[in-house]
Parts: sequence; structure tokens; C-alpha cells
Amino acid sequence: MKNIAYMIFLAILLMSCGDKEKTAAKSYQLDTIPMMVLQIQKTSRLYTTEYHLHKIITHNDVKSITGKIFNQSFHIDLPVGKRKIAIPLDATLKAYVDFSNFTSKNIKKAGKKIEIILPDPHIVLTSTKINHQEVKQYVAITRSNFTDEELTSFENQGRTAIIKDIPSLDMIGIAKENAAKTLIPFIKQMGYAEEDITITFRKQFNLNDIEKLIDKTTIENGK
Amino acid sequence: MENKTLRYLKYFFSHSSKTFWLLPTTLLTISILLIISLYLLNKDNSITISQNKNIEITPTQIRSIEDIGEWEFLAISDEELVDTLRKGFFGDSELVRIYYGTLRLGINLREAQPGWIRAGQDTIVATLPPIKLLDKDFIDEAKTRSFYESGSWNEQAREQLYQKAYNAMLRRCMTPSNIKSAQENAGRQFYHLLTSMGYDHVKIRFQNR
Repeated sequence: MKNIAYMIFLAILLMSCGDKEKTAAKSYQLDTIPMMVLQIQKTSRLYTTEYHLHKIITHNDVKSITGKIFNQSFHIDLPVGKRKIAIPLDATLKAYVDFSNFTSKNIKKAGKKIEIILPDPHIVLTSTKINHQEVKQYVAITRSNFTDEELTSFENQGRTAIIKDIPSLDMIGIAKENAAKTLIPFIKQMGYAEEDITITFRKQFNLNDIEKLIDKTTIENGK
Repeated sequence: MENKTLRYLKYFFSHSSKTFWLLPTTLLTISILLIISLYLLNKDNSITISQNKNIEITPTQIRSIEDIGEWEFLAISDEELVDTLRKGFFGDSELVRIYYGTLRLGINLREAQPGWIRAGQDTIVATLPPIKLLDKDFIDEAKTRSFYESGSWNEQAREQLYQKAYNAMLRRCMTPSNIKSAQENAGRQFYHLLTSMGYDHVKIRFQNR
């Protein structure tokens, strides 16, 4: 009887090993070559607003066993110790109006009055900076330290989270106001009275539009 | 011989009771059913040791909003491979990272002198502030890639690597030719902008540094 019980247990174990999702050996490739790449682009962008953002990236690392036996899923945290880290991240975003394709079609003159129809404003992430002195980490004695690869992965995820938060920060409204504030003194110097100057944008932007107004280099970088 | 075997079999089947056959048949059926049910229950079994690799959800705070007036005429995207080496008794430790940054060259309209634009009937003269680096912080550090690591490194070492990448990007991008290129583009863009506004004669000058 005891032998039969052992055999059944062995059979269950063997069936557990038959993993459905076979983990194929992955070869990781970085999308960069280990050399300097320089790209120079001639532009004509008027930056009107600068936003300084702050985020504390936190990570709580617990090892656990997850699986499925007898059609029952389970999740057990392993008592091998925790690893925690908090990384303060400062980011600078700027709103700009691109004048590269600005033509006389963007200007309407009627007597002493002038109306300037500006291209859509855009938002770009110009820099991010880790406050290395303020990074706090706790690693249990049974665990290994955070690797450089893990740290850069958390920082990259924090950067992506900032980009995702952009539409909720009402940046475009302020950027439009500041574009007018910057351009009105410029046009006044050309001899127009302030009350004769009108600065308009193509349209009112909703949340979906704002996602499209995030500079593509910022989003590419976030991937 | 053959007839003898057949006779023996006939005798055996006619004289063996039904109960005699019932026991092995039942045992065989139960075993098959047990194997099938065990297979069905365990076919999706899996056990994995998992580790959380994602960050937690934390708020993004706006520290400040500034009204600026910077006109960019040249954007230089750069990536720098920087490394640091530490010699040790048991072997050397090395950390190699790739940093990304964009240096933006242009003018700050706040630095324009009063009367920097003088307009006549069909003539306009614009005296632009000198071309400069618009952002002091131009490295996208959160986009940095770890290329190679051996040994353990602290945050101070990472800060030093950042400074090394910063200086390398400045040296590589803030060259007289790039500044000249930005200045030429500034002249072209302002000329285009002012002619679009209806001026026939446009003169663009730059303030002295």
C-alpha cells in the first residue's frame, strides 16, 4: 500500500515537471552599439514653459513560489529576505511651438490688427537626473545586492511612468498661455499695439490629443 | 497437441466462476480511471519561483513651472559609453554604462537687449542674443543602459560616471562648428519668420558674447 502511495506521488511530481510554457533560451540584444552616436538636427522651436517634476521610484522585491497543482493556483512568499529601494528622480519637461513650417499662411493681417495662428504645442522630456546621494536601499543578508541592470530597469520604468502622467498635468493649457506671453512683446516691438495682437491655436485639445502632442523622441526613449 | 490445448482451455473457461474474472477486470478499470483522472488533474501543473521586477505606483509631483522664452536652432543627440575600473587584490571591478543626452543650442529671448527688434516701413533689423547651450541638464539619466558590471558599485561611483558622461558630451557637442551651425540656422529661421510677417528687407545680427 505504501509503495502504491509513493508511486502515485512520483507520478504527480513527474507530471508537474511537464511545463506547458517551455522557456526558450532567450538571447538579449541591446538596441545600441557600444560606440558614440551623434545626431544633429536643425530646428526652430520656441520653448515657452519649463516643468520640473519629481518622482520617488520605489521597488519592493519579494521572492515567491507561484504555480498550479490539482487545478488550484497558489502563491507563497518565500522567507528568504526582502530587498527594497527608493530612487529619487528629477525630470525636466518643456513645452514648445515648432516654427519650422511657419509660413505667411499662419498670419492674418487686417489694417492695424494682426492674428497669428500658432502650430500645435508639443511637450518634450529634456532631461532626467537621479539624486544618487538620496538613494536608499535595504537588502537582507540572505539576498544579493541590486545589480546595475536592475537599477537602470527601475529608473527606466520611472521615466515611463512620468511620460504616462503628462496628460493629467494640464501642461498644454499653460504652454499656450506662455506662448502668447512670449510672442506678444516680440510682435509689439514690430510696432503693433497689444490690443491689436491675437495669438490663436489651431484647436482646443482634449486628453487624447495631448498624448499625440508628446514629442516622439520622448516616447521612443521611453520604450 | 493442439487439440489437447484447446480442450484444456475449454475446460478451464467452462469451470472457472464469474467472480474469478470480476476481480482483475475491476482492478484494471479502476487503475485506468485513476491514471486518466490523475493526468487530467495534473496536466496544467506548474511551479515557478518568481521575483517582482516592477516598480510600485508612486505620484509624480510638479516641483515648479517656469515661464521661459528659449528658441532652439540646433539639437544634438548624443550617446556616450563610459566606464570606471577599480583595481583589487582578488581581481579588477568594472562598471560600463551608456548615457543618452540631447544638447540644445539656441537663444534665450530673456537675454535680448531692449529694442532688439527695430521695424521700419518695409525694413526690420533684429539683434539676437548670442547662441548658447539652453539646458544645463541635458542627460536623460533614467534612460541609461547598463552595459557591463563586475564587482559591486555604490551610488557615488554612478554619480562620478554621470559627470564623466556629462563632460564627454559637452566636449563632443559644444564645438565652434556646431555653434556656428546653430547661429546660421538662427539667422535663416528668423529671416524666414520676419519675411512671412510681411517685411521685404530683413537684417539679422547677433549680440557680442
